[in-house]
Amino acid sequence: MPVEHDEEHFEGRLGHALHDAGDRFDADRAALVAGGLARGRRQRLRRRAAVVGGAAGIALVGVGGALLVPWGGAPTPRPADSSVAEQPSRTPSAVPLTGRELIATLEELLPEGKVSEQQARGTEGSMPSPYVHVVYDDGKGPGAVDVSLNRVEPGSEQARQAVDCPDKTLTPHDSCVSSRMPDGSLLMLFQGYEYPDRRVDTKRWTADLVTPSGQHVSVSEWNAAAEKGAPISRSEPPLSTAQLKELVTAQVWRKYVEFIPQETGKPTATAAPDPVEEASYGKVLDTLVPLLPKGAEVVERGEDYSYAVIDDGKGRSLVEIDVQHGMGDVADELFGDGSETLADGTKVTDRQDAGDKDVPGCVRWTVDTLRTDGFRVVVSAYNAPGPHAAPSRAKPALTVRQLREIALSPQWNKFR
Amino acid sequence: MRQGRADEYAEFAAARAGHLYRSACLLTAGDTHLAEDLVQETLGRIYVRWGRVSRVDNPAGYAQTVLTRAFLAHQRRRSSTERATDAIPDRAASHGGPGDLPLRLTLLQALSGLPAKDRAVIVLRYWEDRSVEETADALNASSAAVRTRCTRALGRLRELLGEDLGEYAAS
Repeated sequence: MPVEHDEEHFEGRLGHALHDAGDRFDADRAALVAGGLARGRRQRLRRRAAVVGGAAGIALVGVGGALLVPWGGAPTPRPADSSVAEQPSRTPSAVPLTGRELIATLEELLPEGKVSEQQARGTEGSMPSPYVHVVYDDGKGPGAVDVSLNRVEPGSEQARQAVDCPDKTLTPHDSCVSSRMPDGSLLMLFQGYEYPDRRVDTKRWTADLVTPSGQHVSVSEWNAAAEKGAPISRSEPPLSTAQLKELVTAQVWRKYVEFIPQETGKPTATAAPDPVEEASYGKVLDTLVPLLPKGAEVVERGEDYSYAVIDDGKGRSLVEIDVQHGMGDVADELFGDGSETLADGTKVTDRQDAGDKDVPGCVRWTVDTLRTDGFRVVVSAYNAPGPHAAPSRAKPALTVRQLREIALSPQWNKFR
Repeated sequence: MRQGRADEYAEFAAARAGHLYRSACLLTAGDTHLAEDLVQETLGRIYVRWGRVSRVDNPAGYAQTVLTRAFLAHQRRRSSTERATDAIPDRAASHGGPGDLPLRLTLLQALSGLPAKDRAVIVLRYWEDRSVEETADALNASSAAVRTRCTRALGRLRELLGEDLGEYAAS
């Protein structure tokens, strides 16, 4: 049938055209792989970070990739870094650049205004490229501001692309200027949109600086409190082009680039495996179940992370448990005033909140424990069968006392 | 993650990232930022599940399915603010109509005019070369639904691309 034949012909041509179009998209694969790895690790940590609550919780997510392996590589004790300012003479790369340091630097460089939602990633973990994010409000509405640092091969394609204005057809934008600075650095100031097709009118303004030695500093800002998914909060991003230029050219960022370990030629993901193996979800749940009170039936076991849904006959209740190593560096964030220290030095605290998924009526009880060697067991129970689910009962199926008994059980020591 | 597994994962991610990114660029009709985001999300999810993913017959195909679902989930989340447009986006107008643009851009614009699920069907069927049944599996849809979407999307693309596609593809 001629029509059918024509259809097939069109389908064949469409396949060719798709391949032609698709094959022209080229990405920085190493960056995608590194980003994927970081997200995977973060997914594991996300709930614990949220438990901390508020800005501190977000900051913890930001440095999350580094938390499991705070000393980045060898399983040796971590050097104390209570205050980075006290270590001015350190050799670059010997001591990692911390997320807190990045946040402090960005806050200092921003003009007067309110700064919130700080997140940062230093060079402590497996991620090679430091990054800091804040929401900055000069009084006219919040806007996200990000700084990322990178090292590029001087004169390489990557170096050139970082400061070459994009094609206006492929990436529609309002303005883009690429220029050479007196010191030989190349600077691109770009004013465009988060979504090139402008289906949402979030503006993205960026400044990219590449120095002759290959230090790459990239600053982005948006007229919304987040890169994606937040409503537009102001007509333009908070920093003017001149302010953006001042921020990107601040010498301190170049110094920080020197903290990035030199490329070893290996893909990022294999460069820094977890030196401490985290307990498998299955083993954690196998340990948890016998510790549950009698009468609590396990109706569901987690596969993607360690949780169980239990039912004591009064409704289903989600129980989340995490067993982690090397968490000593965040003790201050997790165990504030009102936390208790046991005779053996173990810190214990409990929290009662409404979860972190904005579910109306959600009740979550958490007991968090940290042994002196950084070994942490944290267990939460909800009055609902899932973090996003509507409450199925008034209170969680486990009391705070029961949660505490579970978290402090010597059974967990086998994971230490 | 055990060292051996971590290595396997790293090898897999490095080998598939480029292809996933290209797929994501087609799914997002050329929104490279969103595409990067989706690929990282996909690789992140695969990381968390690697123990099981590594044992499936076709981890690459599984990753593609994860990507497609991540894309559709993203579209659902934003569905209140975005709708598939009936016209070729304005961008084309300033260039004197689709005929003056390279086929690649015309095609991306045409894809952006399709509803997200139709776009996913087109990408899976004609870029990934999946069968109707495999596409249906990936989309959690019935084969009949995939066929219907496919016919509709092809008709729409034909209408939008028409002779262009023939000329460029033949050259």
